[in-house]
This record gives sequence, C-alpha cells and structure tokens, in this order.
Amino acid sequence: MNVTNSLKRLRVRRSFKLFRMDRTQITLMILLTAGGVFMILPLVYIFNHALKPYSELFLFPPRIFVQEPTLSNFTEFFVVLRDSTIPITRFLFNSLIVTGIGTFMVIIVSSLCAYPLAKHRFPGHKIAFSIIILSLMFVPEAMQIPRYVVVARLGIMDTYWGHILPHIAAPVSVFLMKQFMDQVPTELLEAGKLDGAREWTVFYRIVMPICMPAVATSAILTFQSIWNDASTSVLFMQNDAMKTFPYFLSTITNNLANQVARQGAAAAAALIMFLPTLIVFLVFQRKVISTMAHSGIK
Amino acid sequence: MLRNKRIRSTTLNKLEGLLFLSPWLIGFFVFMAFPLAFSLYMSFHQIRITPAGLNVQYRGLSYYKTILFEHGSILYNDLIPFLRQAMFMIPIIVIFALLVAIMLNYKFPGRTLFRTIFFLPVIFSTGEVIQTFYDQGEGSLGFLEQYDLNSYLSVVLPPAWSSTISGVLDSFILILWYSGVQILICLAGRQTIPASVYEAARIDGASPWESFWKITLPAMVPFIFLNTIYTVVDLFTFPWNPIMERVTTSDYGLSSALVWIYFGIILLFLLIVFFGFHRFTRAYQLTK
Repeated sequence: MNVTNSLKRLRVRRSFKLFRMDRTQITLMILLTAGGVFMILPLVYIFNHALKPYSELFLFPPRIFVQEPTLSNFTEFFVVLRDSTIPITRFLFNSLIVTGIGTFMVIIVSSLCAYPLAKHRFPGHKIAFSIIILSLMFVPEAMQIPRYVVVARLGIMDTYWGHILPHIAAPVSVFLMKQFMDQVPTELLEAGKLDGAREWTVFYRIVMPICMPAVATSAILTFQSIWNDASTSVLFMQNDAMKTFPYFLSTITNNLANQVARQGAAAAAALIMFLPTLIVFLVFQRKVISTMAHSGIK
Repeated sequence: MLRNKRIRSTTLNKLEGLLFLSPWLIGFFVFMAFPLAFSLYMSFHQIRITPAGLNVQYRGLSYYKTILFEHGSILYNDLIPFLRQAMFMIPIIVIFALLVAIMLNYKFPGRTLFRTIFFLPVIFSTGEVIQTFYDQGEGSLGFLEQYDLNSYLSVVLPPAWSSTISGVLDSFILILWYSGVQILICLAGRQTIPASVYEAARIDGASPWESFWKITLPAMVPFIFLNTIYTVVDLFTFPWNPIMERVTTSDYGLSSALVWIYFGIILLFLLIVFFGFHRFTRAYQLTK
C-alpha cells in the first residue's frame, strides 16, 4: 500500500518536473514575489526621488516613479558643495573614519561581552544581562545632556573619540549576539577545550564563525546608526572641520527660511547618504546567508 | 594538589569571563549608566543652563505629578492610541516574520535573491527612508478606500478600536518594513532545526501541518521570544514615535520625568511578554 502510494507520488512529481518546480514552489514564488515588491519599494522610491524635477517633488499624492528624470538635483547639490567653506571631502573623510572604526569596535566589544554572558556561569551573569535589556529600552534623547558632561570631562570634545566612544556600549548588538550564542551547542565548545584550545581560541575559532549571521546583522545595524547620526557632531564638536557628513547634509535644508528651496539638493543628498548603507548591506548580507547555509549547527 | 589546581582553573575561568566583559562594561558605565542616573536625578530637579553653568533647583516629585495627574494631555493624548496600535502591530510583525522565514527556508529557484530582498528592511528601518515615506503619506495600500472597509469597521466596532485597526491596515506596508531583523532572526532560528527531525516525523506519518505545530513552532519559541522583545523595544524607542517627539530639550526636568514614566510603561510591556513566554514554555514542557 505504502509502496504504491509513494510510486504514485513519484509519478506526480515527475509530471510536474516539466515545469521544473512543484506546486508548493510555485505558490511560494507567487507569495514571496508579492511581498518582495513591497519590500523593494523604498529602494525604488529613493532612487526615483533623487531624479525628480521640482515639478514632481511636491506632487500630491506623491508618485513613486519619476516621469521626467533629470540630473538637476545633483547639479544643485554640487553647487551647494562649492559654497561650503570646508571642503566636502573633509566631512566625508571624518564620516568614513568614525563609522569604520566605530562599527569595528562595537562588533569586537559586544561579541566579547556576549560570549561569557551566554556560555559562562559566573556570579551575576543574570543581573548583567537584565541590565543590558533594561538599557535597551532607554531612548538616547534622554541622555544627551549627561553624555555631554561625560564627553567634556573625558576631554574628547573635538576629537574622533567623541564621535566613536558614545556608540561603543551598544546594548542592541550584545543582545542579538548573546541570543545567538545561546544556541551554540556547549558540547562543541567543550570539544574544542578538550583539544587544548584556550578561551580566546574557542571564541575566535568556534563561536564567532557560527554566530556570523548575528555579527553581520549587528554590523549592518551599527554601521547605519553611526553613519546617519548627526547628533554627536551637534553636541560634542565645536570645530566645524571635525563634523561629519550627515551633519553637513542636515544643514542644506535646515537653515533656510522657506521649505521649497534646495529640496532637490536634499533629495540628491538623501540618495548619496543612502548608498554606503546599501553597499555595506549587500556585502554583509551575503555573509549572513552563506554562513547560515554551512554553519556548524545542524 | 589536584584540588588546588581545579580551584585555580575555575577562578581563572571567571577572570577570563570578566576580562571579556570589561570593555563593554566600562563603556556601559561611562556612556549609559551614568547618564541614566543623571537623567533620573534631573527628573527631580529644575535645570537651567546659565553662562555660569548648570543651575539646579530641587523640585521633588512635582514633574511626575504634573505629567500623571494635572496635565495628563502631555502623556495620555499620544500614549493611548499608540499603545493600542502597538498591541496590533507587535503580533502582526512577529507572525509575519515567522511565516516569511519558513517560506524562505524552502528550496526554490531564486531563493538567495528573495532572502536578500526580505532582509532589505534592515537598512530602511532606522533610516531616513521610511521617514520620508511617512511624511509623504506613502505606505498605505489604498485598498481601504477601494473596498470601503473603514465604514464597515466603524459599524462593527466601537470607534476607538475601528480607527486603530484601520490605522494598522493603512500602514500595513510600514509594518512589513519593520520586520527585517525579525525575519533574519527567525530564518537563522529555523535553520537550527535539523532536517533529520522532519524526516523522522514524516516516516512516522506526520503531515506537514502536524510537523509545523509539533516540531517547528516549539523549536522556534526562543526565537519568537527574542523577536517579540526586539519588536517591542524597536517600536517603543523609535525616534519619531509620538512620545519621543514630546521629549524636548526646552525643559530638562519635565522631559526626564516623562522619559522615566515612559520607561516604566515599556518595562511593563516587556514583563508581560516575559511572563507570557514563561508560562508558555512551562506548559509545553509539561505536555512533553
């Protein structure tokens, strides 16, 4: 009975092989395509928005696709750049340094912190973790003034450290990584230790490769939060040459009395601001997917 | 001799753990714990910034009283609709992420491309992109106007709830865009379940439906839990949620008090989530 059944199923499957997909796969494709269109929408929108002429920028209801694409927004943007007293490359350089070092340090510091929280039973590890969860819930706006006091006392005003250090204690990355590391089988770590690996080797060679999806996710999140953050420039930097690119972009439209002027430049700037995030995302998400396919947890 | 060595190795172990923790802890104390304590302190004081420095005056609980009892409009006008909306959004986001993750785990042509597309919201969620969309009134499906769902809802439900639900439906696309990280977490979680378990279940005659409820869902509980917490925190601390917009720098004492009250509310939400999942896992373990 069972044999004939499975034979029948085999025959059915073979007939569908004409289309090289079975019924579930076709349903999946349709569902996911429908969802995927909405997921891609913001991406399409931001590219189209940067190419819209003024007549289309203020249309209501707004359109996603541009009707008459022009590059005038970019020319306007470059005119704004030329008027700036400090060369734009300086802001870009600051942003790149700050975001690069910042993201790297956040990843190192928070994975180092997450590992013992997940895999060691030291006294107070539960308290330490609940503190992290609690601090997740706190909004950075509430801490601006006290942070200013701290940064001023540390004497890191107008230095790159003033941009980087306030981002270091990031509870979100620790939280994500700790939850992933919880899923790493302890046997794997013990096997490593039996073979004579020290803590550091176990961490570096076993835990980190398995937790690559979490690391890559935190890297994407951290990168964009530091890259888009203008507040450290506003609060901790008095020297204009130390300010970052997003701060400069916010000045394009902020200081103007009327709402219409330079909106084109702002749309172009939004695209330019968004591109690095997109690149980082594309680079890291490949890592996320490939590691998830071959990770040691099976 | 042997015992001595063992003690030394455990203390060494603890020390190593502390060593791993310490960079984050230092950063935490300097840039999180101290500012938090300071903001708690500020919520009891009136702060004025003068050329001579900070001018601090003790105000006791008066700010809390003002917000909670006297001028309720500061908090309640925005908070209650927001909480209602959050109660809908959180389950929708979590369930949507779970379903998408399960779909993305199947083998089909173009899977890598689809995964990339569904992770895309990760880079929109914190950024300016959604903000611009929101400002321009995009992000609604427009299907409400088409089917006249609004008037139907307002007949069936009390006005406060019907407006909430139509608000949620209206910003349905926005909800999907909040779910990037959640999909990622769920997908990674789904991959911790070995394929051999499903094979064994199939041999024993379990239908896909049964194996979803008996295998997939229980194994995913820790990840669903993680997602729920992440969603709650993400939603409540979004820089342009209505409460956050009330936190201004014009009156530090009042703002700090508002933040601490708001913090209390988030904490309550999370405690409910914790408690719910605790009950759920315990019930599951009993039936097992």
